[in-house]
Amino acid sequence: MTSYRMPMAVLAIALMLGTNSILNAQSVILPAPRVLTTMPMGGQAGTTFPVTITSESVDTKAELLFSDPRITATPQLKADGKPELNKFQVTIAADTPPGVYEARVLTRLGISSSRAFSVGALPEVTREKPNTTLETAMQVEPNSICNAYTTAKAIDHYTFNSTKGSRVTIECVASGIDSKLKPVLIIADAKGRDLSVDRRGGFIDYTIPADGTYVVKVHGLTFQGGLESFYRLAIQTLPEGVAAVRQPATEPVNSISIPAQTAGAVALKETEPNNRPKDSQKVSLPLDIAGSFFPAADVDTYEFDAKKGEVWWIEVVSERTKLPTNPFVNIQQVVKKGDAENSVDVLELNDLPSPVKLSSNGYSYDGSPYDVGTADAFGKFEVKEDGTYRLQVRDLFGGTRNDPRCTYRLIVRKAEPDFSMAAWALHMTLRNGDRAALSKPIALRNGATMIFEVVAVRKDGFNGDIEVSVENLPEGVTAQGFKIPADKSSGTLIITAASGAKSAHSVAKIVAKSTIDGKPVVRDCRLASMAWPVRDSNQEIPNPRLIADVAVSVSGEEAAPLTVVPANPEVVVVAENSKVTIPLKLTWRGEYSGALTLKPTGCGFEKVKTINVPLKSETLNVELDLADLKLPVGDHVFALYGGAVSKYRYNVAAVDTTTEELRVATEELTKATTASQMATEAAKAATDDKKATLDEQAKAAAEAQKKAAAVKTELEARLKAVTSAAAPSDIVDIVVTEPIRLKVTAAEKK
Amino acid sequence: MIKCWQLSVFAVGLCAIQLLSSFAVAADDANKLTFINDISPILTKAGCNAGPCHAKAGNGQNGFRLSLLGFEPSEDYEHIVKESRGRRISPLAPEHSLLLAKATNVVPHTGGKRIEVDSVNYKRIVQWISEGMYYDTDAAPKLKSIEVHPSQKVMKPHEKEQLKVVAHFTNGTQRDVTHLALFEPNNKSMAEVTEEGLVTISDIPGNVVIMVRYQGVVSVFTASIPLGAPVENLPTPKNFIDELVFKNLKQLGIPPSEICDDATFLRRVSIDIAGHQPTIEETEAFLADTNPDKRDALVESLLSSPGYADYFANKWSALLKNRRDATSDKTANFAFHSWLRDSLLENKPFNQIVLELLGATGDVVGNPAVAWYKRVKEPEAQLEDIAQLFLGVRMQCAQCHHHPFERWSQNDYYSLSAFFSQIGRKPTSTPGEDIIFHKRGIAKAENKKTRQPLTPAALGDPPFEILPDEDPRLYLANWMGQPDNPFFAKALVNRYWKHFFKRGLIEPEDDIRDTNPPSNPELLDALAKHFVESGYDLKQIIRVITQSQVYQLSATPNEHNIVDQQNYSRFYPKHLQAEVLLDSIDQVTGAVTDFPDVPKGTKAISLPDNSYNKSSYFLAVFGRPDGASVCECERVESSSLSQSLHLMNSAEIKQKLTVSQGTAFRLANNDKPIEQNIRELYLITFSRVPRGDEIQIAESYLAKARVNEKGEPLPPKVSLQQGYEDLIWALLNTKEFLFNH
Repeated sequence: MTSYRMPMAVLAIALMLGTNSILNAQSVILPAPRVLTTMPMGGQAGTTFPVTITSESVDTKAELLFSDPRITATPQLKADGKPELNKFQVTIAADTPPGVYEARVLTRLGISSSRAFSVGALPEVTREKPNTTLETAMQVEPNSICNAYTTAKAIDHYTFNSTKGSRVTIECVASGIDSKLKPVLIIADAKGRDLSVDRRGGFIDYTIPADGTYVVKVHGLTFQGGLESFYRLAIQTLPEGVAAVRQPATEPVNSISIPAQTAGAVALKETEPNNRPKDSQKVSLPLDIAGSFFPAADVDTYEFDAKKGEVWWIEVVSERTKLPTNPFVNIQQVVKKGDAENSVDVLELNDLPSPVKLSSNGYSYDGSPYDVGTADAFGKFEVKEDGTYRLQVRDLFGGTRNDPRCTYRLIVRKAEPDFSMAAWALHMTLRNGDRAALSKPIALRNGATMIFEVVAVRKDGFNGDIEVSVENLPEGVTAQGFKIPADKSSGTLIITAASGAKSAHSVAKIVAKSTIDGKPVVRDCRLASMAWPVRDSNQEIPNPRLIADVAVSVSGEEAAPLTVVPANPEVVVVAENSKVTIPLKLTWRGEYSGALTLKPTGCGFEKVKTINVPLKSETLNVELDLADLKLPVGDHVFALYGGAVSKYRYNVAAVDTTTEELRVATEELTKATTASQMATEAAKAATDDKKATLDEQAKAAAEAQKKAAAVKTELEARLKAVTSAAAPSDIVDIVVTEPIRLKVTAAEKK
Repeated sequence: MIKCWQLSVFAVGLCAIQLLSSFAVAADDANKLTFINDISPILTKAGCNAGPCHAKAGNGQNGFRLSLLGFEPSEDYEHIVKESRGRRISPLAPEHSLLLAKATNVVPHTGGKRIEVDSVNYKRIVQWISEGMYYDTDAAPKLKSIEVHPSQKVMKPHEKEQLKVVAHFTNGTQRDVTHLALFEPNNKSMAEVTEEGLVTISDIPGNVVIMVRYQGVVSVFTASIPLGAPVENLPTPKNFIDELVFKNLKQLGIPPSEICDDATFLRRVSIDIAGHQPTIEETEAFLADTNPDKRDALVESLLSSPGYADYFANKWSALLKNRRDATSDKTANFAFHSWLRDSLLENKPFNQIVLELLGATGDVVGNPAVAWYKRVKEPEAQLEDIAQLFLGVRMQCAQCHHHPFERWSQNDYYSLSAFFSQIGRKPTSTPGEDIIFHKRGIAKAENKKTRQPLTPAALGDPPFEILPDEDPRLYLANWMGQPDNPFFAKALVNRYWKHFFKRGLIEPEDDIRDTNPPSNPELLDALAKHFVESGYDLKQIIRVITQSQVYQLSATPNEHNIVDQQNYSRFYPKHLQAEVLLDSIDQVTGAVTDFPDVPKGTKAISLPDNSYNKSSYFLAVFGRPDGASVCECERVESSSLSQSLHLMNSAEIKQKLTVSQGTAFRLANNDKPIEQNIRELYLITFSRVPRGDEIQIAESYLAKARVNEKGEPLPPKVSLQQGYEDLIWALLNTKEFLFNH
């Protein structure tokens, strides 16, 4: 192994074996399997290539999975036929469309968090040697992609040859594929003198001034580096006049509300000049038109007629497509008196705020760290008078920026009530000053229940109840969505693994059901997650995004430290306005300390008082006063959740397994040592005719002894690591009960 | 103890005040003395309403409050005549008024005696009280302007001149107010002036200005003091700078120094444009070049080098307060510095840079100029910084009162702040960092004193009509970029002139006002015109400056011009800036200073923010600014004991001298002739070849045998390396190295 590759390998081993050091630092949330990096971060469709991963809380046995069955992986095998740690052969079927997929590993604890994995049409290479100087620049071919990561306090150098007049696009994809890198991209001449620099979007569109060699430099904005600062560098030649197509990227959380393109609609485009009222572009409603915030301080003015009593819903789509814009809409009525014209402000449309309170980045969580709100303008225009109106679209960030890539889509429509949904694993304050924003795979321990926040973006006045459920869960896993009532935008989903479930995983689907205009509708609920396990969001800004699919697993090997279930699995039937006591059963598998308090979640149960749970108690009674809760007749469901500190031991079984492996390895070494000594002596005593053969045998035996010694040394190190990881550590995690179901019946009339 | 006469006077006074308040204090009698025309100037002249005295912020002095320099006469009148039930005035016995008793120190006065008993001013106050203490009269003329006689004069060293100040009023009358006017020279080493307006010239040639103030209006007297020496054999002018400077030198009779030699020019211009000393290769190539245009070509080469962008980004980054106050500022600091550097590298027009800065919207990574709004958050700070940096106007005073040396009022101040009134902010995930956007609405700001709402108006211009949809900041930026803007281009060219010549045509460089005229007004106008006509091309203004003969004059004075301090008859040597000095020391010693968060080998002039002043004692002690203010003066450019000790004795310098594979090691082990190595050392340190005597001294020093701590002779190579280390140390501590000359 070259010295250059050492850091990657060391980190990989440290992450796999050195879980204890992470545990010591991590005092919130039990360890969950996570893929941190893959190298390369993607590949060309129709190719097979090696991939190395780094991960967290992933043990030796790991299977690499992708969100599309056309991408497959097999372990790379060592010479002895055994799988090589963290190394895989990945095959992308030729019919896999370009895009960003999810890469995960399946391990003892279940399915890991995912890492973006790109599929493209261009040939790909992976940088193998350091290229942090002009002299060591890596030669790349145009129309290819290079996978690499930046080195801290250094600049990566690439060279390519081109000819005068060629149009070259250079793109450095980083944040769009989960990288922590904020790239600076530079094209320079052969001597390394900068010609054009991009520090904002990782994209340069450049026309080559003269035949020759050109240098591309890549570094972090603050010269950050390391495996997590990975990037894909795409250098392409493109004919003039052709719009550059950007490399695929992950979707932001707020993109859930982007409306679909109207089928069969005529693609309208804005026509400049339309900045001034006198140059307004005449349009008629409804409207779905594409425009651009270009040039700087651009204002696009559309003029239309509207009748009193009409109601129009207006939406701009721009920021949700990852553009650095903040669209703003102003509507004015044109009032004419003779030849004089006056414009009267009627309506201003601004951002769509998050429907739920957001965490304010304070001391701890005081809201959600996920934002489905957007800087795109949204609103409802109720026409009060017949007349001519002007709608102005501008970008509040566009005063001085000249970038034709900052485009928008303006939609003016009659009400089309609908909703978009997203769900994410709940983040809550677990201790004072908790700023953790960890990626949370749905990797359930047996007997564990995970709690999710579900948020709806209601559109065009939609105000129906929304029911959330999960389909295609693995065997032994159940889910319960709590209704989002008409006046609310958020609810809860809990997913539970049975205590006795066997190891299983599946790609599930979260669905949201409602009724619009009397017709039942079903919408996908997208899953969101943090891209990284951020342990202190004050030091590192979390990067939430939508996940392509919903992978769910149950471990089958490790159980939750505490399980709380209704003592009676049946639905509790209770009369309206009465009081009821619901017994819960607690199974303590871990040693807990401190206090455990549980609070309610579920529509109609908000007023249930927080319950203090005595540690080690096997039962717990939940008292409900239905009169106080004002629960109507019908079916209801709720759960209780809170945080508690347990002594957690990571993979205790690995200590025994490794001890046994070490014992065997020690025996093997003893045998090999004896065999080697005997062979050596035999060779010494051999007659001339057999000497050569016996020397060979002695050499082979010595080699076998050396290998056995190496195996033993490795196992000793591993035993040390797994023993350390298995040492008890205080970790505070979220405890959630299984769902508690009630059926409220009408009170008997006396 | 209050004496009985004081009591009775006080009682009668009260009655009188009550009477007074019942009739209009503005009468029609044109002959009556008024507070506004006659009394307030006396208080100003006597210093009663100076900042440290009764105009002290808060409550004045011992409960008696006056407005600064009498800019709010109606308030002063209230305080003198009516406050505390009129205790400061005795209408029936004016001489016994507390106002006079204190001012004459008859009653003990912390400020001492400010007015002599029975002096003209004393009598006028008595008369004013006797006449009924009019604030103003309808017939009383209003002050329009003042005139200084003479307004300018050519004077000889040590000559005296009595100034006469005449106030002109709206009714066409005029009055000699010399005894009430305030006088102040702009350069005290060139002229002194008494309270009565008697000017005494020193022996320094040049132009000196006496600022004359009277009741909020200002005027100047300009004295030209020629040296009178013969000015012959002037270098042939290369551009308008030469013509205008030489014209001034001829008028003043100051013969300029010779044109400097190539080596001096090479080092000087490399440092001034690109912030680094030339390499040996560059020096040898330049010295050997016989092309007559090689100096111009060198300027072009330096302007297109990354060093230019680095060096000037470093300058602007500090002035624009790119400061790291918290770890989380790092991204913003790097992004903002990079934006500046990239803008300079591509030679973005200066008005465009300012437009992008002023009109910045979005987040820091998407639009790094936004970072300025992170550091400068309030509209008042924004207008003050912008005015000082880009207009050369210091508006701070006008926030609370009329500017004492200027025409700017509080209305001007708040009209300027109105440009920044529609800045919207949204929080980001980074603490203290906002997304900036234009908040739709009518831009306005309130005059904090009058409560009058004001719409945006640029200095000296009527208010703009700005629609609610339009970002007023863009109007301000566009106004700056108008060719006829009286401030913008002048402020920049003066700032850049100072960068190259050590002294601005106006000093301080960011205090441009009528009462602080340039030392060469024609030149400042011509530079500004050239800058505007070039399309605000920053490289062009540097090009025209550095290609001029004036810039290329020797720093060595001739027998006449050694006294010249402001006419550019010779090059004024400048301390190397902290960053340049550190980079130069690294270059000479072969050491590399490793800074946090940037690639190894990054030069000190390329560092993005002030955080490195904490990690590098060198940069701190040699005065690298912290971005705390918009003033260039924050950069310390004077010598100190700490600097000398650091250069001579510090572990840091010792480590650089002895660094592995450094210059001393290389020279001791390269087996080249000693003389050749000494030549190399001089080329790398001073960009020149050594003189014969210098070679001789160095050779003899290097040849000395050295011993270790035990007194044992050192091996020859080790001994020689130590000799080179000592020699480099000595060269680094010379003024020739420490200065750009």
